[in-house]
Parts: sequence; structure tokens; C-alpha cells
Amino acid sequence: MPRHDGRMRRHERPGSDGSGVNPGPRPRLSRRTRDSATSYAFLAPFLITFAVFLAFPVFYSLYLALHQVPADSFDIFGGLEFVAFRNFAKLFADTKFWWSVLMTLYYAALIIPAGIVASLVLALLLNNRLRLVAAYRSAFFMPYVLDMLVVGIVWTLIYSPHVGILTRIFESVGITTFSERGFLGMPASAMPSVVFANVLKGAGFGMILYLSAIQNIPRSLYEAAEIDGATPWKRFTAITLPLVKPITLFMVIIGTIGALNAFAEVYAMTGGGPNVDVGGRALGATWVTGYYVFDTFYTQFKLGYAAAMSYVLLALTLIISLVNRRFLRSEV
Amino acid sequence: MARTHAAVLRRTLLYAGLTVAAVVVLFPFFWMVVTAFKEPGQAFSQEIFPGSPTLENFRRVLTDYGFARYFVNSVIVATSAALFATFFATMAGYVFAKKEFIGRDKVFGFLLASLMIPGMMYVVPQFAIINWLGWMNSYKAMIIPHLANVFGLFLMRQYMMTIPSELLEAAKIDGAGEWQVFRTIMVPLSIPIIATLFLLTFQFHWNNFLWQLIVTNVERLYTVPVGLAMFKSAHEELYTLKMAGSCISVLPIAALFFFAQRYFIEGMTTGALKG
Repeated sequence: MPRHDGRMRRHERPGSDGSGVNPGPRPRLSRRTRDSATSYAFLAPFLITFAVFLAFPVFYSLYLALHQVPADSFDIFGGLEFVAFRNFAKLFADTKFWWSVLMTLYYAALIIPAGIVASLVLALLLNNRLRLVAAYRSAFFMPYVLDMLVVGIVWTLIYSPHVGILTRIFESVGITTFSERGFLGMPASAMPSVVFANVLKGAGFGMILYLSAIQNIPRSLYEAAEIDGATPWKRFTAITLPLVKPITLFMVIIGTIGALNAFAEVYAMTGGGPNVDVGGRALGATWVTGYYVFDTFYTQFKLGYAAAMSYVLLALTLIISLVNRRFLRSEV
Repeated sequence: MARTHAAVLRRTLLYAGLTVAAVVVLFPFFWMVVTAFKEPGQAFSQEIFPGSPTLENFRRVLTDYGFARYFVNSVIVATSAALFATFFATMAGYVFAKKEFIGRDKVFGFLLASLMIPGMMYVVPQFAIINWLGWMNSYKAMIIPHLANVFGLFLMRQYMMTIPSELLEAAKIDGAGEWQVFRTIMVPLSIPIIATLFLLTFQFHWNNFLWQLIVTNVERLYTVPVGLAMFKSAHEELYTLKMAGSCISVLPIAALFFFAQRYFIEGMTTGALKG
């Protein structure tokens, strides 16, 4: 199916009434009103599901956050005790919550640079006229479409203590640090291991973005630099990197949002653990905020508290998006 | 001569780099498949290829552990959700791309703004609503809440805006009604994007584990990822079976990707490249 060329005329003669063709027995309304009615009829299924299951929940969540939801009650539309900002106050005093924010930042600080480097390396490798490039490209992209839960479960096997293949490979070169507890069982290596698994899964996405940006760079720039005697490394840092900067910034944004939403990878691999002793309290080394929301809601069934937490998550997301947007506007 | 040597060396290094990268990226899936074919006692053997590959693990997870049922549930949920979500987005995309109506830009802006909201936001209130509606443990609870796909609507609108409006006008002059124009002109001309959105929503619903976990607690309604998560917590040590279950879970998406990767790659990256 051919793509059509971009001759679009969206704002067409708003005043014209279809030149009186097909008048029909319908009452004669202005074309705009009639168009609006049919348009909303087309939109109805989408807008209704959107309103009920996406827009309303955002507001209802605030209602929940301001109430105490009894753990045994399933009647969550009535009989809730209004507690104003008590859930939020409790949240701000909750060490486990601040720890989760810290772990989320740590997760982001690891996964964003690692993801960018991996994507960029793959893109640079593919940016060559070689046979089989298409096959390699597919191979790198495929994990991105597969299920995070499954990927996480497979990595728990690879990372297992004593018997995991990666643990064995490390042992074979004399590193026995991970033999007893495995990569995911030790506080220092748990988060980097979760991140590593996730970077390998997701690198194909950034790779495609970088590849198309790199291929849009005019060849003449590189040729001119070559004539001036620039080394390949110099050409990379002086031409490629600055020109793919919009993609890099985009990767930072989606990486941040991904970190704030991180859940399945933690659920599958560590369950928020292993515990570390922080000033006498046991806190999970991979206890990210997304997982804490899930745990509060699903395991402890504290709906109001989980809703309050998700609102803080929303606030963080919006702040980060705004900061990024300003940054983007000034830099690009 | 020196030049050709350098060129050969360069190509060899590039191929070596690509191959190492591919091995690293695909290793988890390779290991999953290999382990799924091992005898249970051999789960942790380091053999790259099992001496006596067996299908026993697949037989057991499918029959003894209910994965056949989970698979059917996944197919039902992902297919119907993808059909409806694509249909809704196609209709909505058409009017946003081609019609002039009251409040259009405001509604569209509002919808786009919702893309900023983190997914975790919805989980608690959506659960409350489903519970209140009495939809717990039903297919509709798994399907309906995610049918308004704003990203899909955006993709659809972008594509449909490139279809010349003259075609629609011509059909209207010939007396075609609004629905006829949509069905006989817009839909056929938008098949590539409709196929893309169908694949993307199918993939999303197939992998959407958190939501299915929340709204089901009876085994007969588990989808494959939920069944796998439950199996994982109940039988932590049965690695060969867990890997067989994992294979069953990723196989349909891997197969779709194999045959339709162009749609997947374009659909998933165009939004990012244009935005």
C-alpha cells in the first residue's frame, strides 16, 4: 500500500455546506454542527472508555488518597473515612518511601547512561554497509518486544547462586564473590544486575532511534573532517554526538519515566530485595517506588495510601517532564 | 594492497563486534530455550546443547500446570482487546485527521496530555472501579479498561492526515454517507497503520501482566504471564518447567515479530522520531 504524499487540507472551507448535495430529509443544520455530531458519534467509543477508565480514575485516585480505605471493605465508593492529607503526611514521614525514591533515582542513574551507551554502540555497528545488517538489526530489536516478566525470570536462572551459568562463568575465571548468594542476592550487585538485564532487553529501541539520526547526518560533514585530518574518534565526538543530541535527550526523558514506572523487572527478579541494613532498618536494595506502590496496594491492600503514593509519583513525573522540556527547548 | 587489507580487517572486526553483541543480547532467550529442553535433573548443567533433548517439560506445563488454558485465555484477551482498541482508534483517528468539529483541538490536546501520566497511577483506581462494577474475574475486566489507546490514536491521525481529502470529498459528492466514506475509503487506505496498531496492541495486551494479575484470582482465567508468575512463586525450583512456560509465553510475540518486524519497528519508533 503506497503512502500518500503529504498534501493535506485539514481546514477546508468551514463555511461551505457541501454545495447542497444530498440534502436528505434530515433537519437542515449548519455543516459544522452536523459534522460535530457525526464526529462525536465516531469518537464515542474511544472517548467513553477514555473517560471512564483513564480520565475518571486520575481524579478518583485523589479522592482515594484523601480517604482511609478499610482493608476489609470492598465498597470503595461509599463509607470511606475522610482523612484529608493524613495519607500524604504519613507518606512524607515514611522512611521506606524516601528510600524507594532514592532507589528509583539510583536505578535511573544506572539505566539511563548504560542504555544510551548500549544503543549508540549498536547503532554505530549497524551504520556500515555490510551484508546481514538487517538480520543483526532484527536480532537486536527483538528482545524489546518480548515480555519483561519472562526476561526477568530467565535472568533469575542465569544469575542464580552456585548453579547459574553466569555465576559459573565468573567462577571459571576465579571470581567466587557471587557463588554463595548469586548476583541478585547481594545488595551491592542486585540493582546493577537488574539494570544489566533490562539494558540488554531495551537497547534495540534506542538503537533504531540513533541509527536513523546518524543516517540523517550529511556524509559531506564527515568527508570534510577527514580531509582536515580528524581521527575517527574526533569525528565521532565532534560530529556524530552533537548531531544525535535530540535523541540522547529523548532517551533521558523516557529513561526517567521508565524508572518511575519500573515494576515488572523488580517483581520478576528480586521482589524489591535483598535487604540492606540502613541505620537499624531493613530496606530493599531494589525497592523502587513503582514496586512499593504495587506492594502497598496488592499485598497490604492499603488503597488510600497507594493512591497517595501514586500521586507523588505523578508529581515527580510532571516536574521532571517540565524540567526536561525547558532543557530541550533551550538546547535543541 | 594495504588498503584492501585494512578494509578486510575493518569488516572482520565489524562482523566480530556485531556477532558478539548479538550473542550477548540473545543469550537469555537461547538459554531459556535450551533449559526448557533439558531433563529436570539437568536444569543446571552447563551443556550448551542438552544431550537428550526432551519435550516432557512442555507437555507437563501445558497439561499438568494449566498453561494450555492460560494460553487460550491470553489469545482471547489479546486478540479481542487488540481488535477493539484498533477499531476505536481508527474511528477516532479519522475524525481528528479529517473532520472539523467543535472542541477538536481541545479534546486532542487533553488526550495527548494524558500520555504524561505514569501507568502506575491508574492501577489503584481502575481496580476500585472494576471491583465496584462487579467485573472482577472476567474477560471484560482484562480487556475493556485499556481500549482507549491514546498513542495509537496519535499514530492513526498522523497517518490519516496524509490521505488526500479530495478522495473523501469526491465520494461525498457521489452520495456516500459518513460511515461509507470511512469504511470504503479511509479504512482500505489505512491498512498499513491499522495492521501496525493491531500488532502493537496485541503485543501490549499479551505482555500486560500487572493488570491481569490484579483483576484475576481464579486459575481458569489466568493469562500466560500471570500463570507464569504464580508458577514461579509456587515452584521456585522447577527451572526446566519454568523455562518451558517462558517459551510458551514469548513464542507468539517472537513469531509475530519474525513475520511483521517492519510494522513493529516503525510503529514503535515513529512516535518517538516525529515527536
